[in-house]
Amino acid sequence: MYVRPFEYSRVTSVAEAAALLRHHGDGARLLAGGQSLLPMINLGLAQPELLIGIGHLPELRGVTRQDGEIIIGACTTYAALAAHEVALAHLSLLVAAIRHVGNVRVRNQGTLGGSVAHADPAAETPLVLCVLDARCEASDGERTRQIPAVDFAQSYYTTALAEGEILSQLRVPLPAAGTGWGFHEYSRRAGDFAIVAAAATVQCRDGAVAEARVGLAGVADTPVRCRALEAAAVGTKVAELDGLVDQIDADLMPKDDPFVSAEYRRHLARVLILRALRDACSRATEVQ
Amino acid sequence: MTEVLSPTIPPARFRVVNQPIKRADAREKIAGLTSYAADHELPGMLHAQLIRSLMPSARIIHRDVSRALEVPGVVAVLLGEDVPNNELSSGVPGQQVEIQAFRATSFVLATERVRYHGEPIAMIIASDEDALAEAEARVEIELQELPGVFDPEHALQPDAALVHESGNLLGSWSIDHGDIEAALGDADVVVEGEYATQFVDHAYLEPEAGVAWLDDEGVINIRSSTQVVEHFRDVAKILGLPHAKVRVIAPYLGGGFGGKEDMTVEPYLGLAVHRTGRPVKMVWSRLESLQARFKRHPMRLRYKTAATSDGTILGHDIEILADAGAYPLLSAYVLLYASINATGPYLCRNVRVRARAAYTNNTPCSAMRGFGGMQVVFGYESQMDKVARALSMDPAALRKRNSLAKGDRIPVGQPMLTTVWLSQCIDAAQAAAGPKPAPRDSRHVVGRGLACNIQPYGRAVWLNDSASAWVGFELDGSVVIRCGVTDVGGGQVSALAQIAAEILGVELEQVTVHFGDSARTPLAGTTTATRQLYMSGNATLQAATQLRDQILTGVAEGTGAPRDQLRMEPAGVAMPLGVLPLTEALAMCVRLGQSVQALSTFFGPRGREIGQQLATDRIYPDATFGAHVADVEVDLDTGEVRVLNYAACHDVGRAINPQSVEGQIIGAVAQGIGYALYERVVFQDGFNLTSGFFQYVIPSSQDLPEIKCVVLESGEGLGPFGARGIGEPPIGPCAATIASAVEDAIGVRLTRLPILPEHVVSCLRAPSVQGLPRN
Amino acid sequence: MRRVTTTVTLNNQQVRAEAPPHYTLLRWLRDLVGAHEVKEGCGEGVCGACTVLVDGRPVSSCCVLAVEVDGAEVCTSRGLLHRDGTLSRLQQCFWEAGAAQCGFCTQGMLITASALLASGAKPSREEIREALRGNLCRCTGYQAIVNAVERAASAPEVPA
Repeated sequence: MYVRPFEYSRVTSVAEAAALLRHHGDGARLLAGGQSLLPMINLGLAQPELLIGIGHLPELRGVTRQDGEIIIGACTTYAALAAHEVALAHLSLLVAAIRHVGNVRVRNQGTLGGSVAHADPAAETPLVLCVLDARCEASDGERTRQIPAVDFAQSYYTTALAEGEILSQLRVPLPAAGTGWGFHEYSRRAGDFAIVAAAATVQCRDGAVAEARVGLAGVADTPVRCRALEAAAVGTKVAELDGLVDQIDADLMPKDDPFVSAEYRRHLARVLILRALRDACSRATEVQ
Repeated sequence: MTEVLSPTIPPARFRVVNQPIKRADAREKIAGLTSYAADHELPGMLHAQLIRSLMPSARIIHRDVSRALEVPGVVAVLLGEDVPNNELSSGVPGQQVEIQAFRATSFVLATERVRYHGEPIAMIIASDEDALAEAEARVEIELQELPGVFDPEHALQPDAALVHESGNLLGSWSIDHGDIEAALGDADVVVEGEYATQFVDHAYLEPEAGVAWLDDEGVINIRSSTQVVEHFRDVAKILGLPHAKVRVIAPYLGGGFGGKEDMTVEPYLGLAVHRTGRPVKMVWSRLESLQARFKRHPMRLRYKTAATSDGTILGHDIEILADAGAYPLLSAYVLLYASINATGPYLCRNVRVRARAAYTNNTPCSAMRGFGGMQVVFGYESQMDKVARALSMDPAALRKRNSLAKGDRIPVGQPMLTTVWLSQCIDAAQAAAGPKPAPRDSRHVVGRGLACNIQPYGRAVWLNDSASAWVGFELDGSVVIRCGVTDVGGGQVSALAQIAAEILGVELEQVTVHFGDSARTPLAGTTTATRQLYMSGNATLQAATQLRDQILTGVAEGTGAPRDQLRMEPAGVAMPLGVLPLTEALAMCVRLGQSVQALSTFFGPRGREIGQQLATDRIYPDATFGAHVADVEVDLDTGEVRVLNYAACHDVGRAINPQSVEGQIIGAVAQGIGYALYERVVFQDGFNLTSGFFQYVIPSSQDLPEIKCVVLESGEGLGPFGARGIGEPPIGPCAATIASAVEDAIGVRLTRLPILPEHVVSCLRAPSVQGLPRN
Repeated sequence: MRRVTTTVTLNNQQVRAEAPPHYTLLRWLRDLVGAHEVKEGCGEGVCGACTVLVDGRPVSSCCVLAVEVDGAEVCTSRGLLHRDGTLSRLQQCFWEAGAAQCGFCTQGMLITASALLASGAKPSREEIREALRGNLCRCTGYQAIVNAVERAASAPEVPA
């Protein structure tokens, strides 16, 4: 495709980026890894006037552990995150999900924040951040605010960011000791966007679920947390989890599209959520 | 692995042929040195881009290019009225003979109507791509929607919207052999089945591309990714020029698979150069390629198969309906191949075939690897499994029992002229498959399937096919081949070098091939129809043999040595008293007036033109047979089908380059597995929604198993050294093999392609209703 | 249109060219610097034909802006060749295994494979298939490519 020319500005600070966003409005887009945005531009689906390059900003990169949270700069690449000792030690669910993202090239360039800000409802990492009860830090260069990940995506490719705001950090609470995790997805081909993905974390006590967090991607216009299932799971024996699967029905709002039927998405959701839950239980170690 | 199993002709010892030599072109590609069509640059080169219809069926109300012409750098914006002969009418690509029944008409640039989503309406020519992008936004085209038809059955109903004024029936073929009604009456079992295959795309990694220029002699040169250099004639016709004023050059293609058999960029490049006098480049985007490039015909197949309880197939009653899309292109031929191969590699004494192709406003369909002979495998092999089950007979035994043998006639009337090793292929594929793997857990099941096929090689005989090759010695002892063959990646060029090296006794490294140039190389015809090894290979064999004879005759005369005691070897001409170095032998020949070059034409078998009622004792030169076995694992919860194990066996007659043969088989199986499980072009009311590789899913390295290849060499093919063609045959059995394996796993036969997990899930829930999505 | 100068070390040689900021690295390499070995197959980052190494990491050059790789080391398949033009061990293995048919995916395959092998690990065939899953091939069915990478891993490059 022939690309309409656009300008590029390599900013030196978040504040500068935010100012450019405010000035140009819809005509400007942020460029982190570019693995969502540049394909869209190449296909003529996005025609910005200005790309604001932020991927290099040191304040937006890196992984640190601080005060019971893991803080991930929004422009940290998937590859860097999946290899980071802090992530490997504490965020196995996220690392596992990243393995399903694209291919080695996408992971070398693409960033966690870029994926979250793109808000494709079938993407793996936004789903995981919802299940982990992460918070998204939005910055306009002067002030920051925290938006729960579960509230961050509002619809297809639409987020809670206000005009002139930049997603700067992802803050993930350290999972409690003994928490088990599970992640399953179905895609046509390994590495493609998920048709449906399921993620779960679980704490167990006396052979039963003590706490569960469960989410799905690809069944609505944003990732969903299955609150009814989470509530019903408490106290359920691991062997009886099957009986809970109807609890997700109200969370499923898939649309028919020419490539995948809504009915199959519903079916997959039930299958994958159970698998994710079972894996999470088998990985959980008993807590007192 | 290449095994030679119980040959009827003893294996010969070859020095170069039948060896897994490293291809010279492969080295250049690996070193990053090969220049493909889009890699060519010329000073002052312009860029051209097509403006395509955004609607599948519409009247063109208004076209205004004036604002686009204002963009700096835009040199021209052309419409259909700017094309000297806009109505493109051609027969089979590359043929000298125009066969009335197969005249296909399409347009270079549409003027009054558009009939498919993506049909070209205008062409912008500009100095750079940014000017093209700006100009594209300014071209004004107004379309008024017309009723369209998007299903071939609907298209053939009396009240259907007409794609063409002449009616929506593109054409039909009939075969009547024996007495099918009697056979159905005499049968112990009659098995019925309906099958449906889908639109798929060639998905070559290299999109359509080319660069064209006007040379010093006023000849329009077009260097493009094409399987057919003979298109120079078609471009000349469009431009109203003598044939000799257009030259087509084909560099190494980044894949063809039939998608570059019809013209792609050639008419537009020719037009652009003709109009501007300047060099022009055109490269299609993947979006254009997926949305607008011609597809494989979807086919609906209805079979009624009659068999006796001892496992004899009495015959079939077969209906075929193909969706041809908006323009005829090669549909009549594809339908022909489907018809004549519709009963498979089996002896069937009573057959009725009624095949039709209908126009719709979907993307036009044309050639793709297998060419109609591929789609019907899904029909006849599904039926064979059904019959086997009805008779409680082993599916392999049923196939072997009914296999064609040398001398048997296929329903159209042609006898098999060479040995048929179908049973050997079945045995070898089953042996290579090894034991069936166990499922990974109780939520998975594993099944094994088998399917066989027949695929012709070489062209239909009434096309009077031929190929020419020139082989000559340079005076330093190196060999030059000039041949119009195009190389789509299968080693077409390398094979010619091997053949010449074998005959002339030289090392492979001493052979240079000039290929794919309609002005400078003798024409060899299309790289399609699994014909190139047979045709240009034999032409090269003939020319090299003639040349060898000339050299040895010259040396015999010059030295007095007996002619029959001379041999050509790498060191030179071996004689009773030693070896005469090659350079001296050549000098001797030149002194004696003995030519050191030879031009030869190989003619394929000839036949009468056929009629709508197909009956002839020769329709194609010969065929290749094969058998595949696959083990699949089905996830009972998600419906996913994973291929765990795959074995493919074909009798290739003689493997000129065994490594290339294996590569063809494995590559074809990969495409076949894609066809079975992943690939489909998705339309919605004629809008082709498939716009990128994230939607058009071809298998990756992680989606395919290790594929075991067994190559049999009966030595009885009609190609050089007894070779058969192998380009198309291995893609045929795959979908049926997979469907057979899935049935073994879950007990239900899927009858629509591709076999998506959602369809499997529907079957597992309700075997009687297959939950079929609309196309 | 504003033009920006990008300088990279391409296959061990300093290369500099000016381009408008919207040029992808792919377009910059092909149209301005003559690196035609890098191919465009899809424009979406899916097919892998445009894969190059940027500072040792495989990236889709169609999904990276040229301006953003200023100062980086870029490697294509021509950069894998020895100084005398002979094939590297990995490339020799590709040739011997018949891993290139039409050759259009080959450049990208080589780059991804070279990054996989750079760590010195000896990947299994399954690991090779996983690493290469982002490089699509339509001709070979991948098997000869996996054979080549496996062989190259077992007997790595001897420095010239």
